[in-house]
Amino acid sequence: MTTDTRTRKRRRRSDWLVALVFLAPLLAIYAVYYLYSIVFLGQTSMQRIGISLLRPVQVGFENFALLATDPVFLGSIVNNLVFAAASIVVALTIAFFIAVALSTGVRGRKLFYLVFLLPALMPLSLVATIFGSMLQERFGILNETLRAVGLGDLAQSWLTTPGLAYTAVILVFCYLIGLPIMYYTADLSALPTSALEAALLDGAGTFRIMTQVIYPMMRTTHITVILALLLGAFRGLEQVLFSTGGGPGDTTEIVGTYVYGYVNSGGKTIGYAAAASIVVLLIGLVISLAQMFATRTKRSAR
Amino acid sequence: MTTTDLLPPDVEADPGQPRRGTVPSRGEDNPMRAVITSRGDRILVYVLLIAMGLVFAFPLYAMVAKSLQGAGIANYTTLLTQPVAGVNVLTTYLNSFVIGLLHAALVVGIGSMAGYALSKLHFRGRELAFALIILFLAVPGTALLIPVFHITNEADLFNNYLGVALPEAVLTIPFAVLLLRNYGHNLDDSLFEAARMDGAGHFRVFWHIFLPMTRPAIANLLVLCMIWSLQDFLWPSMLFTNPGMTTAAQAVSSFANALGRSAEDFGRYNASLVLLAVPAVLFVLFGLRFIVNGFASGSSKE
Repeated sequence: MTTDTRTRKRRRRSDWLVALVFLAPLLAIYAVYYLYSIVFLGQTSMQRIGISLLRPVQVGFENFALLATDPVFLGSIVNNLVFAAASIVVALTIAFFIAVALSTGVRGRKLFYLVFLLPALMPLSLVATIFGSMLQERFGILNETLRAVGLGDLAQSWLTTPGLAYTAVILVFCYLIGLPIMYYTADLSALPTSALEAALLDGAGTFRIMTQVIYPMMRTTHITVILALLLGAFRGLEQVLFSTGGGPGDTTEIVGTYVYGYVNSGGKTIGYAAAASIVVLLIGLVISLAQMFATRTKRSAR
Repeated sequence: MTTTDLLPPDVEADPGQPRRGTVPSRGEDNPMRAVITSRGDRILVYVLLIAMGLVFAFPLYAMVAKSLQGAGIANYTTLLTQPVAGVNVLTTYLNSFVIGLLHAALVVGIGSMAGYALSKLHFRGRELAFALIILFLAVPGTALLIPVFHITNEADLFNNYLGVALPEAVLTIPFAVLLLRNYGHNLDDSLFEAARMDGAGHFRVFWHIFLPMTRPAIANLLVLCMIWSLQDFLWPSMLFTNPGMTTAAQAVSSFANALGRSAEDFGRYNASLVLLAVPAVLFVLFGLRFIVNGFASGSSKE
């Protein structure tokens, strides 16, 4: 028995080295692209410097001070939250309904999946461009349709009027609900059937089963969907860059376009963009932690 | 859905459980069929689905309708035969495809090795290591823009497929580790222990047992990596300057800049958008199962 525990102990110790070997490629790539990146961001955020990264001027925390007082940056965080909220509302209602309805094995499923999921699987630059192009002033289909039916007076410059441009970006975000549909579809297939059978015996109708039986049972999926969409918004770039470009007058800016804009401005704005990147990174890590916390409570509940 | 917008799936591999995340069928074995309880409800579900489908299909329809404006079908033939601003549509597919393969190879290689270590090897601090690795699950790509630009410069990887595949893989690896670790976690230990008793080394066990048994999860990862590379605009736009390397997502902006704003050009521009959407259509038609499988987020076993 003592030899048994000893061999097991020895095996455990040797596992440590083996594990290190198996984790080595990951550790190498993490060391360069995450750890070094974070150190580099920290350094750069204290400098005034261009994209060539030559001849830095040390400025201390000036970039962070500027960032904290820039209404456009704060506005972009608010916009991220608003766009995420809009897509979450649509996901928890319409995407849920679509996923359940398609799970019941309706006819023409393949076509429906194609229509609802395609936008989320195409390049986002493409989807946002389609919206931008539909709303385009001269040849956009919306204004053309309005003119064709004699409502030419209603034709607008949709993308240059603040309120309308804002709505357009919200529509782009709401259009991309393929992801939540996929989450719901995947989890619905593992739904315990006993609860469904009980509801059927009660004689509940389709919509009552959906809202009062299935909806509460998908709690974990709802949380996953909410966090994924929140994250998606903070990872967003193309949704805005290719529809309104952040305009008019920065009103539709999100953090993605904000950082991207300063990185590509061509001026000595890289230090400032690095400071903004650090804030974005911290937001990402907080969302990660929220997700890990959600999974943990889930696991202990098991 | 940009690169790894999604959050943890907790894949179950219990043979006794229904396979999580399968695409619904019309067969008798689909318990969700019971949700539709009456003829009236069925009609209402169809009406709602069709109405939503029409709304979602409209932007796609608008794009196709616009693409025939001007020269009609010739818009397509000229795009397929003549490059626009040095960019050929078919080449962009190829570029995205090559990057996708590199991206997938990096993710599956590094992710499966780490997944094996974190699920089948025993060492102290394993759970902590796992938590630290997936902490980076929600890092937005824009936050790493400046350091990755710098690293790519130092490594001389500008205008190199690997230069783009690496940061894409870096952002996907936390997700891959989560997927493969959870999948491995649910595989029965006894087979692995028996192989070890028989004197098989860890690399043999990894290669001959772990990899074959995690094949479904690896298949999901492969398809998702291809899709994310196809969608990625951020990294190619920052790291490629050679028009010959333009990817499909990037081509959206190249074509927007090159094709003017006359009515004919607008038609050709929309035709280019339709062509750039084709790979995504193929993914939905032939890879839907793999995509949905990768999204199972459910947790509970009860």
